[in-house]
Amino acid sequence: MTGDMRPRRGVASTLFPWLIPALALLAWVLAGRLELIPAYLFPPPGDVGQAALRYVFGSPGETPYAGRFLQDAGASLLRVGCGFFLAVAFGIPLGVLSGRLAPVQGLLGATVNGLRAVPGISWLPLAMVWFGIGMGTTVFLVALAAFFPVYLNAAAGARGVDPLLLQAGAMMGVRRFRGTFAILLPAAMPHIMTGLRLGLGLSWAYLVLGELTGVPDGLGAVIMDARMQGRIDIIVVGMILIAVMGRGSDLLLTSSLRLCFKSARRLS
Amino acid sequence: MRPRLRAVGMPSPGRAEPLLVVRDLRKMFPVAGRFVTVLDGLRFHAKEGELICILGRSGCGKSTLLKILAGFLAPSAGQVLLEGRPVDGPSPERCVVFQEDALFTWLTVGENIGFGLRVKGLDRTSRERAVERYLSLIGLTEFRDYLPQAISGGMKQRVSLARVLILEPRVLLMDEPFASLDAQTREEMQSLLLSLRRRLSQTILFVTHDVNEAATLADRILLMGKEPGWIRKDIAVTLPRPRAREDPAYIDLCSRLHRLVRD
Repeated sequence: MTGDMRPRRGVASTLFPWLIPALALLAWVLAGRLELIPAYLFPPPGDVGQAALRYVFGSPGETPYAGRFLQDAGASLLRVGCGFFLAVAFGIPLGVLSGRLAPVQGLLGATVNGLRAVPGISWLPLAMVWFGIGMGTTVFLVALAAFFPVYLNAAAGARGVDPLLLQAGAMMGVRRFRGTFAILLPAAMPHIMTGLRLGLGLSWAYLVLGELTGVPDGLGAVIMDARMQGRIDIIVVGMILIAVMGRGSDLLLTSSLRLCFKSARRLS
Repeated sequence: MRPRLRAVGMPSPGRAEPLLVVRDLRKMFPVAGRFVTVLDGLRFHAKEGELICILGRSGCGKSTLLKILAGFLAPSAGQVLLEGRPVDGPSPERCVVFQEDALFTWLTVGENIGFGLRVKGLDRTSRERAVERYLSLIGLTEFRDYLPQAISGGMKQRVSLARVLILEPRVLLMDEPFASLDAQTREEMQSLLLSLRRRLSQTILFVTHDVNEAATLADRILLMGKEPGWIRKDIAVTLPRPRAREDPAYIDLCSRLHRLVRD
């Protein structure tokens, strides 16, 4: 009898997480049908779906937003990619060094925590003065925002590595440089990975902020532009696509880490 | 990897010095603004192939002694000589099996055992052959591809043992390696250690607070006194092997050791 129960419970537990999204979608459909919310404030899912199809697959020029997706997504990905890359390139080495070496921690700790207290948004005006509107500002904001979680988690991970593991390595002939890559980084991997994922999530948030400032392309630019044009459907489409790309990039990040590092692949 | 076939206790020809010489060791730690002496005037010799148990109550400095022998700590005064050369920092010729499991969680059992050979730069084929051999010596051949988190505490200590034995250390240092295991597993590990040492003629320094463990394993027992730590008594154990717990001589030795440790 328990044998009969198991597969059914499996299906139920697979579907269970979709319950709330499904109900929300249902409410959205009903709100449109019953005209509880006027379409000019929140268009029904059908309209949004059609707008999404035209935006993604339509041929350019056919309607105002048709077929712009690839260009916008490409521009946004490039900005997120560059900004996040900078955050990682500085965040992980500095984080690991400050986690292991007290002088580095002493040198950087106060400064990093001071800078962290400045809200990311408040850098926007200064960034626009420095880098102008577009690529430079957006990359700067993304890099700045993503740096902190990457740095702090790498530092916490490196600091928390069991000294016994490093001693074990030393007695088996590992010198400092090799130990960093063979023991320290793998042992700190769970924290490093958490920092990277948090940083990448923030990257998308600050991407939109950077693109709201009047750049011609990018997913953030599209939703701001659609607001001016009164195209609520396109705003919703843009939001959904940003969410999809954010989730997709997170999956890409975790799976490529798993592909490249045993220590990420074998996380318990 | 060539199997080692040195006979136990055989004097190494042409070597006048004992394998390991510990000379007038002192270790002080700064505690709350002043120095506390943990070890003082500690001296002993170890011969090739000997299994020496360092027996003492907790807090007598036996772990500190082992850390100095391993090269993790430098002595405040005195000297440790291995084959006449002073010990300076950790090295594969003096490997440690720790009390806590210190395996690399991101490596499989096989990869953990092969780690030291990889560091040495041994090629993959010879490495794998050696790993297979040591896996079978510790009886974990089927567990080669398991991660440490998936095996029991006793198995983890077997892996910890294999990953250092594979490096053929001149001296194997063991820091209460079986203390956190249940009684049954501890006895199994003790017999495993004895059988491994018969096959590999490994010189072993084994730190323990457990009188029965010392009586079961040791050729020689160094009894440590505390505050500060020193070698109070050097006891040669001549009981025949395998040692039976019911043997009156064994029981006699245990109760003698009990009394000595208590004093």
